[in-house]
Order: sequence, then C-alpha cells, then structure tokens
Amino acid sequence: MTTIRTLLVTSLMLAAPAAAAAQDAGIEARLEARGLPAGLAHDVAAIAADASARGVPDQPLANKAIEGWAKRVPAPRILSAVRQFASQMSSARDAVRAAGIASPSGTVIAAAAEAMRSGMRAEQVRSVVRAAAAAEIAAPGLSVAAALAAQGLGGDQAVKIVVSAMRNHQSMADLLDLPSIARAMHDQGLSPGDIEHRILDGGDGGDRDGRRTGDHGDRPPLVPPVSRHDHAPGHLNFTR
Amino acid sequence: MIERDAFSADAHRYLDGEPFRELEGGEFATADRLVAEAREYAERLPALDPALDEVVMAAVRRRTPARRRGGLAWHMAPRTVRIRPVWVGVLAAAAALVLWVAPRAPVPAAPTGAALRPVADTVYVRFELSAPKARTVSVAGSFNGWQVGALAMARDSSGLWSATAALPVGEHRYEFVVDGTRWVPDPTAHAQVDDGFGGRNSVIVVGPKGLVRS
Repeated sequence: MTTIRTLLVTSLMLAAPAAAAAQDAGIEARLEARGLPAGLAHDVAAIAADASARGVPDQPLANKAIEGWAKRVPAPRILSAVRQFASQMSSARDAVRAAGIASPSGTVIAAAAEAMRSGMRAEQVRSVVRAAAAAEIAAPGLSVAAALAAQGLGGDQAVKIVVSAMRNHQSMADLLDLPSIARAMHDQGLSPGDIEHRILDGGDGGDRDGRRTGDHGDRPPLVPPVSRHDHAPGHLNFTR
Repeated sequence: MIERDAFSADAHRYLDGEPFRELEGGEFATADRLVAEAREYAERLPALDPALDEVVMAAVRRRTPARRRGGLAWHMAPRTVRIRPVWVGVLAAAAALVLWVAPRAPVPAAPTGAALRPVADTVYVRFELSAPKARTVSVAGSFNGWQVGALAMARDSSGLWSATAALPVGEHRYEFVVDGTRWVPDPTAHAQVDDGFGGRNSVIVVGPKGLVRS
C-alpha cells in the first residue's frame, strides 16, 4: 500500500508542472511551426508561461510574436513587444478584477489590454466592465469602446456611448454596430462631438431608450449580413 | 564392477553402520577389508586448513549480487499485490488527470482578434485597396494568423485590388501586404491602432448585421 500511495502522490505532484510544461511546449511548437527561430520561440514561450502563471492569457502573447515575425520585426523588438503586452494584460486583469469580475476570462483580459493599448485608462475599462450585464458582454463592450476611441471620439465619450448602450439593454448586434455607424457618420463629415451626440440621442437608428427603430432617419443604411466593406477604397500611392 | 556392487543390501547396511539381518562370512571379510582400506586412505589425505570455512564464506560474500541487481530482481519476480478496491478508482482518476494534461498536438493558431466572438455569425467582408503599381496585394490579420498571402486580393483594370473574406463577428486587426513585404494600414477601417512594433494595425468591428455603408 505504501508503494501505491507513493505512486499516487507522485502522479498528482507531477500533474501541475506537466500541465505547464505541456502548455509551454504547445506554444513553442506553434511558434516554430510559424517559422520563428527556436531561440525566439523559447523566449516567447517562457514569457507566456510566466504570464500564464500570473493569470494572464498566454495565447495573445504568442499571437503577438507571430504578428511581429510576419512583419519581419527583429527578434529583440518582438520580445520587447511581447513583454510589454504581457505587462499591459497584467494591468488589464487588475482593472477588470477591480470592476467586480474576480476571475476574468482570457478573452476579457485581452480585450481590456487592447483597449488600454488604444489609449483607454484603467478607470474607463472598469466603467465598461461594470456596465456589462454579464461577463461575456464585457469583452465586446471594451473592443467597441476602444474602436470608438481610436476613431477620435475620445476615451470618455467612447465609454459613455458604450455604457449607455449597455444600460439601455441594446442587443449585442447593436453594440457591435457602433463602430460602423460612427465611421459612416465620420465619412459623412460629422465631427466626433456630433457623432457622440447623435448616437447618444438615438440618431444611430435607435430611440432614446436605445431600441433600434429601423434603418431610417439619420442612421446610415446597413449593408446586409452578406455584406461589403463598402467604404471608398483606400488609395495607396507609393513608389517602388 | 567394483566389489561393493556385488554386496547384498545387508552388507551395505553393515558398511553404513546400520542394523542388518544376516551376512555371509565372505561378505564380512570383504566389508571389513574395505573399511580398513578406507580408513587407511583417509589417514593419508592432507589435513584441511582450519580457516577453510572463512575463506569459502568470504568468496561467497564477494559474489553476492549488487544491490541494484537485487532491486531489479525484486521487480522482476512475481509478487502478490494487495490493494483496496477504492484505490483502483483513485489511481484511474490520477492516470486520467495525467493523460489529460499530457502534451497534445499544437492547436491551430487562434486569431489574435478572436477576443470578441459573442455571436457565432460569420459576415462576409470585402476589402479594397487602390494600388495601381502593386504587383501583389494580400490581407494579413488576426483572422488568418497574420499569414502573408493567405488572403490574396485580385486586381481589376483600374488598379483596384479586392478580396472578400468570411469573418466571425467581432473585432479584427489587419493590414494590407503589398508586394509581399510592404505592410499598409487600411485607410477605410474603423480605426488604426498601435501594433506594438512601431506600426499601425487597422481595426474593424464586425457585427452580425454587417458593415455600414457611408
């Protein structure tokens, strides 16, 4: 019986490190499969493992390294960017926890980190997360707020729009629609302030209670789900 | 045949000092002579070394199997294991746990921008870029693992490059890749954000209803 107990305890003691090692090996193999040199892949996997041990999702870090490698960024700069992103996600995790989600998912943390990278402050992230009726709404809310802020509305205005939409129980589809609407209004020549007012006043096609009233009025027409990214094409002038 | 082979069973008992029933006179004489010769032979043998026992035992100890070999022999030998049935279940659970956390084949790359997938819808999005002098243009982004060339664009006669992709609802980051090396943001995207490498990524947030036409 002593031998069996020893085997059992040993198996359980090996389980946690084995899990971490398996995860590391998975990320490292994935990075190498994408062409990253073994040394760089190893270093990124180590950063990811350290982040994972602190409750920070590791896959976004691997993705960032892949992005950098695809863009032919030098390895030291990739490592620097991955470390910085890990740090941003750590701060984002703290902000989300402070908003009341004790164990935030990697999805929410990554969305919060991207939002903070786009210029949103921790208190703005907390505002969006607190306004979310459910944890799974927080991530899209943060992404939309970040996109609106990056469109020039300003962080406070972007958060105000998203929080208003959430409190008015707008649908997920309506929430995800906001960056398109803001972009369309911008293309029509409206200023960021006007865009904010028109969306908050229901000019996005919803009434003042936030309910969508249809694709009429001031709201630009929607492209059907089988749709076109139908802004004027980007014009690129460059010389080879 | 030697002499003792012709002896009767009683003669053998007599030689061994055991009780016997009857011997012929000749057998007595032969047996006594053999005994006398044996004693005489034994007396001529050299005396044994009194330390012989110690010498032999020392040699035996030197040839004792090593501890490692003994351990191996213990494992190889059949054993009877006694176990409470409940431990079988516990061991099976532990084995399942170890197998569950064991390394697995790498999972296909998850797009970076997959952070936002609240709805399982997929929306077709058309990308366009006017680049008359370009030889090739593709779209690389979080939705295709930043693989250059994975979403190649087609050129029309005016130099407008376009491609349509089925994207999951949510946020996506991307850039155009011109001639395989030049990374260019999409000026029509919802936003441009720092990519962490000194460049800018284009951002689109795709809702279930599609994108808005300006």
